[in-house]
Amino acid sequence: MHTARLMRVVSKTGAWAVSRASGLARLLAVAWTALAAGVQPRYWPPPVRNVLARQILFTGYEAMRFISMIALLVGVAVVVQTQVALTKFGQSGLLGPILVMVIIREIGPLLTNFVVIGRSGTAMTTELANMKVNGEVDLLDAQGLDPFLYLVLPRALGAAISIFCLTVVFIAVSFIGGFLMGLLVGANTGNPELFIRSVFGALSPADVLNLLVKSFVPGLLMGTICCVEGLSVRAAVTEVPQAATRAVVRSTAALFITSAFVSLVTYL
Amino acid sequence: MNPVLDMREVVVDHQPPYDTGLRGISLQVSAGELVLIRVPDGEPITPLADAASGVIVPDAGAALFEGREWASRSADEAAAARGRIGRVFERAGWLSNLDVDENITLAQRYHKRRSPEDTLEEARALARELGIGGIPVGRPAFVDRESLLRCQWVRALMGAPALLLLERPARDLTANEVAPLVEAVNRRRENDGVAVVWLTDSHERLADSALRAARKCAIESGVLRTLTEP
Repeated sequence: MHTARLMRVVSKTGAWAVSRASGLARLLAVAWTALAAGVQPRYWPPPVRNVLARQILFTGYEAMRFISMIALLVGVAVVVQTQVALTKFGQSGLLGPILVMVIIREIGPLLTNFVVIGRSGTAMTTELANMKVNGEVDLLDAQGLDPFLYLVLPRALGAAISIFCLTVVFIAVSFIGGFLMGLLVGANTGNPELFIRSVFGALSPADVLNLLVKSFVPGLLMGTICCVEGLSVRAAVTEVPQAATRAVVRSTAALFITSAFVSLVTYL
Repeated sequence: MNPVLDMREVVVDHQPPYDTGLRGISLQVSAGELVLIRVPDGEPITPLADAASGVIVPDAGAALFEGREWASRSADEAAAARGRIGRVFERAGWLSNLDVDENITLAQRYHKRRSPEDTLEEARALARELGIGGIPVGRPAFVDRESLLRCQWVRALMGAPALLLLERPARDLTANEVAPLVEAVNRRRENDGVAVVWLTDSHERLADSALRAARKCAIESGVLRTLTEP
């Protein structure tokens, strides 16, 4: 009796694990295909390039103000506080390494990805899901436009490129904003040249690689997940919000898993 | 010579979004030939055009375009072949996030990598030929249904297609209003050898003598019946 119940539990767990693993494999295959197709010019006819440009405009350029505002607030919170605390303990020399560790390695890529998932990821999923429900994906297919090339490729790569650029903007604004705010509130910010030297001095090639991977890879995964979830809708409008929710949850999970994995691989 | 379109005993099960299935349809359309097919009022959406253009895989039978079965083509080859088919769509004819002119020129810019100016120039010339004042500006949601239907004619004729699949291109228009399309289609059949499949829910309304159809058929409960031979 107990053995049968145990077998049922093992079987259900196994089925769940297999389904999760195959879902993950499919997702990675789509992301990889987007990456591989993205470097081949024959897959970039003018309309696909237009979609990429629009995606970067929407996900990257139009999000810049909001990302800058968040970055400024983070800069005020982290940079100013760190400066004040380190000065108090006579450890001003640690400012660069701490800021690099906190903002460049972790907060910058994480928060930027997070904001883009909420702002663009949901929009992407909803747009594609509505296109699917309205038969527009079939319309593309009927005209000989490959839905993967026209819909998924430019969105996934556009999201990845945008997130990388936004992360760089985030880091620059948080440092500059934090330093200027420190001056304004009378925190002992010191010489700007020393501040810049302290940050750049603490920066290693591993940090640059870490930044690149932590912004580009989750961005690519987010773009892929949101497209796949959007296109997984079949015919009912009621499926659209469910797809958007799934896309946000899975993109967020992919972000944190990638981020933790890259940190472990790079720094341990 | 191979027919441009050759459907052999094609079976498609009845399922959404179609109003009917296909039950063993055989249809050959040669270059320059027009087949007029009546679909019953009330169930106008048939999978015929989707099966003919390889968008759906038949449950049985085979569909060949330009002598080659859709199922034997790679995804890239099938997409390129579909670029040689002009179509007026019964449902979902427009991408809602593109303007009407972008919609019209999209396939040409994708398949032939033509510039927007070049394709737009061709679209405007076709609009003049079809008696349309101009290409409407803005998203399809903000353009009236009749103008959109006429714009579908323009899109179908873009880029010298080998096959035209016209799903009820006349709809609520009168025979006079459809006359420019009929003339344009006849010209292309004679001059360019375009094969045409024209689905309609009323033969009379079209003044079909002007269409000079090679064959008139009807789909009833998924079965194709030939009504008249030429």
